[in-house]
Amino acid sequence: MPRRWLIGLCATVVLVVALAGESSRAQEHAPVPDVLISRQLAEAFGLDSGDVVQFSNEQSGAAAREFRVRGIYEPTPDPLELNDTKFKARLHLPDLLALTARPDDPLAAEIVDGLNISLTNPADAEAFSRDLMARVPGVFAQPIERVMSRASVFVVLERFHFAIALVTIFASTVFLLALSVMLVDERRETVGVLRLIGLTTRRVLAQVFLEGLVIAVAGALFGLVLALASERVINLYFQWHYNTALIFVRVTPAVAFQCLLIAVPLGVVASVSASWMLLRRQVMSLARR
Amino acid sequence: MNAFRFAWRSLIRQPARASLGVIGVAAVGALLFDMLMLSNGLVLSMQTLLGRSGFTLRVSAAGSPLPGTGQPISDSTETAAAIAALPEVAAAVPVRFANSRILRDAWERAIDADLVGIDQAQRRIWTLVEGGDLGSAGLAGRALVNENLAALLALEIGDMVHLQANCGMGISAAPAVHLPLAGVADFELDDSDDLTVALTLQDVDRACGGEGRDAADQILINAADGVPDQEARVAIERHRPDLQAFTNAQLVARLQEGGLSYFRQISLVLTTVTITFAFLLVTVLLTVSVNQRVGEIAVLRALGLSQRRVIADVFCESVLLVGTGALLAVPIGFVLARGLDRILKAIPGVPDELHFFVYEPRALWIHVALFSATALLAAAYPMRMVANLPIAGTLRREVIG
Repeated sequence: MPRRWLIGLCATVVLVVALAGESSRAQEHAPVPDVLISRQLAEAFGLDSGDVVQFSNEQSGAAAREFRVRGIYEPTPDPLELNDTKFKARLHLPDLLALTARPDDPLAAEIVDGLNISLTNPADAEAFSRDLMARVPGVFAQPIERVMSRASVFVVLERFHFAIALVTIFASTVFLLALSVMLVDERRETVGVLRLIGLTTRRVLAQVFLEGLVIAVAGALFGLVLALASERVINLYFQWHYNTALIFVRVTPAVAFQCLLIAVPLGVVASVSASWMLLRRQVMSLARR
Repeated sequence: MNAFRFAWRSLIRQPARASLGVIGVAAVGALLFDMLMLSNGLVLSMQTLLGRSGFTLRVSAAGSPLPGTGQPISDSTETAAAIAALPEVAAAVPVRFANSRILRDAWERAIDADLVGIDQAQRRIWTLVEGGDLGSAGLAGRALVNENLAALLALEIGDMVHLQANCGMGISAAPAVHLPLAGVADFELDDSDDLTVALTLQDVDRACGGEGRDAADQILINAADGVPDQEARVAIERHRPDLQAFTNAQLVARLQEGGLSYFRQISLVLTTVTITFAFLLVTVLLTVSVNQRVGEIAVLRALGLSQRRVIADVFCESVLLVGTGALLAVPIGFVLARGLDRILKAIPGVPDELHFFVYEPRALWIHVALFSATALLAAAYPMRMVANLPIAGTLRREVIG
């Protein structure tokens, strides 16, 4: 896919306008221009394909023009537009210019906010940008990558979530360790008897290791199942809250693997280290009541 | 021995277990405390930031979702003067925002910077760091830059600033303007990477090549002494129905509904998760602990301790475990919040002075209330176990075992 260039704002026109008048079901096919409207706008105003609506760029609804709803679209989910209005309409550029042009400005119908430029060689983006600005003073040309630096917001958020995950992992480890210490202590007598009948410390530790492994794997898998189940709940809640099709939580194989990679060794280490504290004691002190 | 002392002795008899329990609660509590600070932090910080310059209202064209985002205000000087003449208003200062390119030595070496057009007023949206200030209306011809821009271009006071503006009203072919640098200032809404240059409105008009002459994106308002902001807002909108005024509180509320709501949502989710985690942790610790001590408890009951007394012991143990953890969580939470705040402040466009985690007494009270409820609820099941413990049966089992 060729890399795109952006000059100022996109020429792909997305206009958010006030719905100035009541929609009416078109009984006859008058030559009114087409418009696409967002799903959210359609739902809010009960619009359907074929309806005729009026758009105006005046607060008062003056100078409204009629458009026929050609279709309803789901806006491309964009996390950066999470809180923006979801009431959107897509018009053909000449229709938009006719709607918004000031009558006293003869050039108004010729002005757009920006142009998208597709280059034959996308690698020349920087050079082309400089060259264009040198040739046409006053024009701002920017490679799309520079505009897309907004994505760094998500890099920061990822770092934030990671930091929170670290604190959670620390708390979970402490929890696990406390639990292991208690469970091992509960089995003090059993371990003492095992040692008295001749099992070596290493043999008991191996048993604890295997037990810890089984429990850690089972716990981690249960956690993943819980995460998969809550993934849907969380997505449904946020999609409802923000009225968007955006996916907020996704348990990818990489994330699942990362979780297993952290949870299983932690579980095993907690079991073994708690047992090791117990096994360091004298055999007789373990066996006595 | 009272129930608290008894519970304390039960805990210190198992130091490893008790310490781990307290550390676990402290870690979870620190995260919870941070989430409580995050839930309202941005709003509080934004309120402080907006109020710092002393302007309590912002006026823009009617229909703008936020000040400065809608249509520009035309004839801004006249409009500001008319608003300033209202008895409810002390001062009205028009501001214009645009993009600019600061030319270093040739067009190829230009730097993008934010351009602010504002006349000198009694209150400013910057703090002067070095040099002189901008001129007031009619005394144009000087520029003010922020420290980042001054450092990047190695600008000294009196150096010429070569600037080409893009005023966002179609294609601008305005020629560059050349202005001497009056001073270096710290702009209140700048982030650590922002490059900002401020000129008088007259100079911005000139730099914009006359496009949108005397237009402003917003007018900063200071309500008259003793006049509530809301009253000033109503007066402005009554006087000019084509304008819309926002009080700082309204503006923050609008931002809260919009861009800031993500952090409120995430703090809600994480608060729920952390408090559930703390509840599970303490419940499990107490339940296992009571399970291991059923024989001991049965003996105490047989010796004459009342049912109420042994229940109180378990409850006090829960209070000590949760209370100590929750207490430790506060200083740990502050340290953690500083780290998390530093991470989030790396978001582009976040002003230096804006903080995501802000302490307020409300956060502490909620923290205390949530942990009190946790201590009570976590102890409920073990308390029930102790209350229903069959003394004779338990003692018999213990002897046979």
